[in-house]
Amino acid sequence: MEKNAEVIELVKGVGGLVTLPNVFIRINQLIDDPDSSVNDIAQAISQDPSFTVRLLRVANSPFYGFSSSIDTVAKAAAVIGTSQIRNLALSMSVASSFAGLPNHLVSMDNFWRHSLYCALAARILARQAGRVDPEAMFTAGLLHDIGELVIFNRRPDQAKDALLLVLDSMDELPVHLAEQQTMGFDHAQVGGELVQQWSLPPLLRECIAYHHDIARAQQYPREVALIHLANKLALMAEVDTLDVGDVAPCDPQAWAIAGLDESVIEQVVREVQEEVIEAEKLFVGN
Amino acid sequence: MATPPIPRPPLVLPGFEHVRRNWNATYGAYAARLLPGEYYVTINDEGIYTTLGSCISACIRDRVNGVGGMNHFMLPASDDPNGWKSTSLSASTRYGNFAMEHLINVIMKNGGQRQNLEVKLFGGGRILQNMTDVGLRNINFVRDYLQTEGLRVVAEDVGEIFPRMVVYFPSTGKVKVKRLRSLHNNTIVDEEIRYITTVESKPVGGDIELF
Repeated sequence: MEKNAEVIELVKGVGGLVTLPNVFIRINQLIDDPDSSVNDIAQAISQDPSFTVRLLRVANSPFYGFSSSIDTVAKAAAVIGTSQIRNLALSMSVASSFAGLPNHLVSMDNFWRHSLYCALAARILARQAGRVDPEAMFTAGLLHDIGELVIFNRRPDQAKDALLLVLDSMDELPVHLAEQQTMGFDHAQVGGELVQQWSLPPLLRECIAYHHDIARAQQYPREVALIHLANKLALMAEVDTLDVGDVAPCDPQAWAIAGLDESVIEQVVREVQEEVIEAEKLFVGN
Repeated sequence: MATPPIPRPPLVLPGFEHVRRNWNATYGAYAARLLPGEYYVTINDEGIYTTLGSCISACIRDRVNGVGGMNHFMLPASDDPNGWKSTSLSASTRYGNFAMEHLINVIMKNGGQRQNLEVKLFGGGRILQNMTDVGLRNINFVRDYLQTEGLRVVAEDVGEIFPRMVVYFPSTGKVKVKRLRSLHNNTIVDEEIRYITTVESKPVGGDIELF
């Protein structure tokens, strides 16, 4: 990835305002440590009451099908699996950590609702595509626009000008191209830089950095294409349409790279719309 | 392939020189960008577009000769959700009346015949949660107004929770409505609030002439 010095500086500038919670960093270390056990991980989680509560709610939610029988963190960690714990910890940590980065351009509820639509679409598409981890794609979907929150906080005037350009164009100019016009870079670059400075996995970085420019994917072209498609289907679910012409067009290669075709659109959009209400209770707000 | 040169914009009717117009490649036509509180009438083959949150746009044209236009307005806040009904000259409805009557009068001044007018209505979305439904007030007002005036609504897309982009071509009556993603909510609401604050700060009984 070629680096834009301005983007690096921008992301460094928010370093003190947005930090991943200690519980996530600790869980991440333990999962990577071959000598640690599930009990060590459960122990670390238990230090954070709010994460503990959320984890138990997620573990008992219809998504996992254990019908409310998971009553301890150790059980949750055992049945959900440690890599999945890491995804959940990250998903839950990031939303709360961005409370320190307020903005006037988009409400946090609206921002995270779109993110959640994308996460749900990414997970469904991943299950259909096969050979990718649906939960990792969920996390990538949830974080795909995270760079927007940085831009909206640090460059509010240019970000607003970009949104006005989009509206002046009859909503034909995509937001990331409008950002490139007003700032010289876009939210995907900023998001990619942020997760890199956080030392998050390269899969996540590629999905975030290239979700509008899938040809630039290096190690993870299928995953990047899936997030690109999930983003379009998320927008369709959000504005409640089954007509692809109502949202910005997809990259023409995306379906082929993902190993899927357009016949799944209707079913995915409807599933996302059905899942989003439950999912919002788990991931958005408190 | 060389791109054909962009033609000159069609002549603008007197009084609308301030409205910004851009060439739109998708439609191969000029289109006027309406802001809250503005209206635009044309006798030419050009588009008019705007973004709507809880505001209303009425698109009105003479279906025989194609003269027509669009407005973009909302009623100022009122404690009484039925305030728009109380009297047609109340402070709350005068801006709605003003917006509708100016649009209709300028269309008729440019050759529109009242019996040929057809109306399409858009907007009035409930895009802010936890607020009184100002969109619904605007919808109720404009329906009541059109009924009183005996004007027929041939198409509408109003209410719900989405902001909208409306593109209207008076010469053909063609209209495209696109629901916008919530990312744009605040930008659109800010524009509408700036407009309504300007309206509310004008003294009641000012120089607005009612017809």
